[in-house]
Amino acid sequence: MLNIEDIQKILPQRYPFLLIDRILELEEGRKVVAVKNVSVNEDFFAGHFPGNPVMPGALIIEAMAQASIALFHSAQGQTVENEKVYLLGTVKARFLNPVFPGDQLRITVEPVKIISSGAIVNALAETRGQEACRAELGFSVK
Amino acid sequence: MPGVEEEIKNLVATIIEKDPAEINPDANFFKDLGVDSMMALEILAAIEKKYKISIPEEKLTQLTTLNQTIAVAREYIK
Repeated sequence: MLNIEDIQKILPQRYPFLLIDRILELEEGRKVVAVKNVSVNEDFFAGHFPGNPVMPGALIIEAMAQASIALFHSAQGQTVENEKVYLLGTVKARFLNPVFPGDQLRITVEPVKIISSGAIVNALAETRGQEACRAELGFSVK
Repeated sequence: MPGVEEEIKNLVATIIEKDPAEINPDANFFKDLGVDSMMALEILAAIEKKYKISIPEEKLTQLTTLNQTIAVAREYIK
């Protein structure tokens, strides 16, 4: 398991845009299972939507993308520096169930193909025993 | 059943969002067809998935035209 201190050694994102709280499982280059706890105090709930809080799908994708960085990092071993910039290139997603305050998102990412300058991964976000989102993400690393 | 050449042509066309008929098999992906590095990686991954093969990263730089891509894929398709 990786706690938030460990995660911050891998991911360049910081408050208010670090969307992974814990990594439960990490199989080098093969699989990452991460958790995002969704609190009613998240700033975005104030506007999305007033009186009817739903986590924006774009942020579910972002949480998946951050879990994917951990997967990419583990596949590359020690060769990836923290100063790298990760740029999302493609997203194919299907949103299946909404995510509400109090939910715990369990995000699983597995590689389709990882190379030294980028990757394509399959990602699944689940909460309350249901699938919230399935996506294929492609990103490059510069 | 379409052959490997036709299958790869269709697969590339889908990824680069062109009509298969528009793709000259010797046109340069990057200069002539607007392919970027992300699309090249998608092409590689799609070929791997379709034929259940694994193509090493070093071969990615050889995917410069449709004909070249077919040639690389043929090296790994049994």
